Amino acid sequence: MAGLSRSEAEDILYSEARLLDEVRYRDWLAMLTADAVYWMPCNGDGFDPTREVTLVYDNFARLSDRVDRLTSGVAHAQSPPSKTKRLISNVQIDRAEEDAAIVLSGFILYELRRGKERIFAGRYEHRMRFEDGRWKIAAKKAVLVNNDEVIDNLTFIV
Amino acid sequence: MPSQLNLDELVQETRVHRRIYLEEEIFQLEMERIFERNWVFLGHESEVAAPGDYKTVPIGTQPAIMTRDENGDIHVLMNRCMHRAATICQEPRGNCSAFRCWYHGWTYNHKGDLIGVPYAGGYGASFDKRKFGLIKAARVEKYRGLVFASLSPEVENLVDYLAGAKYYIDLFMDLSPEGAVETRAGTHKYGYDGNWKFQMENGVDGYHPNFVHQGFFEVQGKTLGRKVMQLFTDNSHCESKDLGNGHSILDMSPKRAVGRPTSNILRGATSQSSTDAYMDSLIRRYGQERTAEILAASNVNLGVFPNLLIIGIQFRMTIPKSATRTDVHLLPTTLKGVPDEINVARLRAHESFYGSAGGGAPDDVEMFNRCTDGLRVKGAEWLELSRGIEREHVDADGGRIGHITDETPQRAFYRKWKAMMVGAGQSQQVIPLRVVRTS
Repeated sequence: MAGLSRSEAEDILYSEARLLDEVRYRDWLAMLTADAVYWMPCNGDGFDPTREVTLVYDNFARLSDRVDRLTSGVAHAQSPPSKTKRLISNVQIDRAEEDAAIVLSGFILYELRRGKERIFAGRYEHRMRFEDGRWKIAAKKAVLVNNDEVIDNLTFIV
Repeated sequence: MPSQLNLDELVQETRVHRRIYLEEEIFQLEMERIFERNWVFLGHESEVAAPGDYKTVPIGTQPAIMTRDENGDIHVLMNRCMHRAATICQEPRGNCSAFRCWYHGWTYNHKGDLIGVPYAGGYGASFDKRKFGLIKAARVEKYRGLVFASLSPEVENLVDYLAGAKYYIDLFMDLSPEGAVETRAGTHKYGYDGNWKFQMENGVDGYHPNFVHQGFFEVQGKTLGRKVMQLFTDNSHCESKDLGNGHSILDMSPKRAVGRPTSNILRGATSQSSTDAYMDSLIRRYGQERTAEILAASNVNLGVFPNLLIIGIQFRMTIPKSATRTDVHLLPTTLKGVPDEINVARLRAHESFYGSAGGGAPDDVEMFNRCTDGLRVKGAEWLELSRGIEREHVDADGGRIGHITDETPQRAFYRKWKAMMVGAGQSQQVIPLRVVRTS
């Protein structure tokens, strides 16, 4: 088996983007490994989450809790929900092994909520792992360009 | 003919008028009479730990800089070149040898002295650099590392001003076996389209959690077996308390709480060895009795008038931007002298609820936005703050104590607000506000 190709990586990222835009969070969780970490740094690129506060640093259990809460019907900051559309580009395979790869990409995320439009931009770093016959997301880091600025509400999953 | 309300009438013992959240004229008076005439919280000394360090931070709506000079002293300087007004410092924080205004090159040291003027020969012989130092806060004082400044010299000493809040600040700091915390882990920054007072009211509001945070509590209850909602029901033994000078607290000490199995401070998972090492270090430093007191009182929401809240592991600074726009900065603390694992667990616990992507705070913010929308309704002029007025009692220290769900803290806040806005020493004339219809 060869390592993850760029077109395969793009397919995964596009599928993920679609699930998140469609708020199919449980289906999204199924794309992750059981030991996955989702990291959204605060105040810059994110150097060491053991020394820095982050916007999100969730293991799978916490992500699962997050999804439970967001779908509980009483997640007020998502009532009404954000409508999002994200475009992913500049996809590069940073490191590829037979069963693991690091995929870098850029994204623009448009959000509409309560009549207000916002645009977020940033970069993703996905660590992929081949597991149970398919590529899964073992870690996702989302670095927003504006993560050191005031952000009013970031309760949808980036 | 419509009646005209003056400021004194807009804030009453058990209700406040919608106009205090909406009108820019009142907002400007708040800046002058509260934020520019009173102690305001600016940060923690660990943010400017080394000589040359600085942090930019507003006092009300005015840009300022908190600096540490080469002698280790902290100064609060207004961020405005005395030449032609440009701000001299652009970054949120950093370290520098001097502050240069890049408009025409005037340079200041960390005390605010003007130390360099390019091509100085262009100024006459009477030009005196000493007259062009940066404007400085009239008073800067620290308490347990918390830095406050006042633009007016006419304020009581900080330690007196803190009144009953001092006891709880001590407990918070004493969660460290070295008696010291640091705020060097970064800043959560969020904001909302609403008045700054919403945040200050809400931070010490024990009536809202079971509704605003129901989703968070239910998930937490399922995964961790915690019954947090019991803290905020009619049967709760938890209290709210007026601490004087507009300060107040929600006291959810485990000793009073029903069904609360553990102290709040280690909400994140930590190994038994780290927890034991931490507890042992507290007992060595403070003894059994004080340690128990510290841990018992570690779960509080403390409000310090006008712009500081101490909640969870964080110092929270409310930053008024306009009548209907507010920024909020959260400074999560780390404890000095504890295993790293403890501080990591505290940070992760903090993030689970707080910050723009947290599971709790954004739901509060949503309510502030909804309130701002609702305030536009004319005819419903008042916001009701009477809850608990008939059952609150006065304790031995003279502070009013209410049930956790009572609006005792909000009434404390507005008593201070009113004293500063229309009390003794303020102009008693009717403030020329827009005339609105009143019922």
